[in-house]
Amino acid sequence: MSIQTYTAQSLPSDDNINAYSFCVDVNGEYFTQKGKMIAYYGQLKFEALTAGSVSSLIASAFSAPLYAHDFIIVTGHGKLILGDRGFDINSYTLQDGNLTVRAPNLLAFDPALALKQSIIPGFLTLLGTGRFLASSNGPVHFINPPVRVDPQAVVGWSDCPSPCHHYDAAYMKGVIGAAQAFMGLGPSSGEEHQFDFTGAGTVLMQSSETVRESEALVREMESQLGLLGTPSLEHLQDQIQQRLGQQR
Amino acid sequence: MPSYSEINSKLVEVAVNAGEQVLARRGAMLAYTGDVRFKPTVTAGSGVGGFVGRVVRGENIPMMICEGRGKVLYGALGLHVTHVALSNDQLTVEADKLLCYDGTLQAGTVFLGDKGGFKAVVAGQMTGQGLFTTQLSGSGNAVMLSHGPVFVLDVDGQSKVAVDPQAYVGHTGAINIKLGASVGWREAVGRGSGEAFQLKLSGSGQVFVQASEERL
Amino acid sequence: MATFELDGSRLLKVRIDGETFKALNGSMVAYDGDVSFKRQGIGGQGGVKGAFKRKLTGESLTLMDVSGTGVVYIANMAMEINLVQLAGERIWVEASNLVALEAKLKTDQKFNGLRGATTGQGLFTTTVHGQGTVALLSDGPAIGLEVDEGTPLNVDPQAYVAHKGQLQQDFVTDVTWRTAIGQSSGESFQLRFQGQGTVYIQPAERDAGIDV
Repeated sequence: MSIQTYTAQSLPSDDNINAYSFCVDVNGEYFTQKGKMIAYYGQLKFEALTAGSVSSLIASAFSAPLYAHDFIIVTGHGKLILGDRGFDINSYTLQDGNLTVRAPNLLAFDPALALKQSIIPGFLTLLGTGRFLASSNGPVHFINPPVRVDPQAVVGWSDCPSPCHHYDAAYMKGVIGAAQAFMGLGPSSGEEHQFDFTGAGTVLMQSSETVRESEALVREMESQLGLLGTPSLEHLQDQIQQRLGQQR
Repeated sequence: MPSYSEINSKLVEVAVNAGEQVLARRGAMLAYTGDVRFKPTVTAGSGVGGFVGRVVRGENIPMMICEGRGKVLYGALGLHVTHVALSNDQLTVEADKLLCYDGTLQAGTVFLGDKGGFKAVVAGQMTGQGLFTTQLSGSGNAVMLSHGPVFVLDVDGQSKVAVDPQAYVGHTGAINIKLGASVGWREAVGRGSGEAFQLKLSGSGQVFVQASEERL
Repeated sequence: MATFELDGSRLLKVRIDGETFKALNGSMVAYDGDVSFKRQGIGGQGGVKGAFKRKLTGESLTLMDVSGTGVVYIANMAMEINLVQLAGERIWVEASNLVALEAKLKTDQKFNGLRGATTGQGLFTTTVHGQGTVALLSDGPAIGLEVDEGTPLNVDPQAYVAHKGQLQQDFVTDVTWRTAIGQSSGESFQLRFQGQGTVYIQPAERDAGIDV
């Protein structure tokens, strides 16, 4: 088996090159996550979202301030090749729809789509009509609700209501909690805590991965500190001190 | 018996019926539909099966029992899954590479090295990569985890198969394993810690090997 | 003659019948037969022949000689393995992507000049030339991208695997690329290839800090 070889002309147009890489025909403006471009042909410019040059039209499509650091705008004309840690990459088309996706799994999207922060921390919602790219550890598996999913295995969901948390009944009664203390198991696992999806729609899932510590999650938590008063902040400080103590 | 289907290279779906049990490493349940419950084996008092891998790295790999009626998706850490159906056979598998198995299978911990002489080697130098492994026997299904897909090598009287311990995932059949090293391997690998040996396999059966030296 | 054959996309099967081939140290995952290994001494056998400096990081990678009779299975970290046949030409390879080659092929290190006066860091690339098969690793299937006059190619160094042909390789540091890579510290750059040839990339970023 020899290596599949392409020229600038023979590269696929807005399609997968293989399961793990995707070629985008850039013609104008395009949003991608930072650091995911692996090669390009043509005249392309990469700009931070915070730069003054961003047009107000583009800025209005991107309504997720906590994630502005994670995305860039590509402008110009050319063939842009994207890859993400060897994860599977899939292209999705929204037709006047909505889809919520785990933030690190959102690779790129059309400025025609609007991006907003989901109510669920760490997730982003795309709205409107257009195309986006998402990555997953292994192929994406689609399931229809009702289903309960380990939060770490959730890539995203479409059409159905946002999930709620579900805790195992035995866990709630403290049976497993006690067993955990006895076995020294640490925090709850997928067996005890899931995202509970109901209603009509589709859930996208992957094999679980160790979720990378997301800067965005920290920013999200920071953004809520303003809601707290002094006693709560002091309580939080104590908690953080304790956690740090345990980790040393 | 619960039925197993591989959804893709990294996910396996198990359909459980009333009265059946599936054991899986804790945290490997990724999604379920239907009416199923999960409980740790420690409260179920199922002994050895509950703590496969205790001796391997001084670490517990607690198992969870799934019961009820429904479909459960298992997977872990983005690793590849390989389904093995046993029919009055045995599967020997590294504890940290065992994803889930039917409650009908008997689980035990066995020592892979053959004679006492190796024990010292193992205890002294093989920290982190135990030769104590889990053995499942009887009839039923089991699913193994591996970094990248596994490949299968047949072992018989003619073969002279050796496997890097870090690439070894498990085996079926009646296979004997000895520690050894071929000429120059130790120097070539350049690991001073005594990790530089190989598993030499004899007997008859099949050995599962991953295309990686990554420990799980 | 040692024969190189892929079993799936991540496992290399090498059949030997009294011959020798070279493989990345420790990359043997299994074998069936009578096989022995010999570490290539650093500095021995023509100096750089056995020990490659890993580009940019200075970490050295060594090859071992594998000889005997039987089938040897070569793999590394479940990465994809790609076979490239060389018919007398030279291929430039990121050293950490080289996993095995026929013994009759020659390996060498090329000094690609200093990358910027500020860091004073030299860049070495491993080259392989001659007639025979070389096996390259890639994280995900490798993709070949052709470069000709008028269509230069820009590559993230973390995705670069190898190249061949009459190519001029430049290190371009520009602000917009740095933005794209998203590296907050250190100096980042892109590789720009011009001329006539083929560049091989992988669909994943090498995790080692490649910025100097």
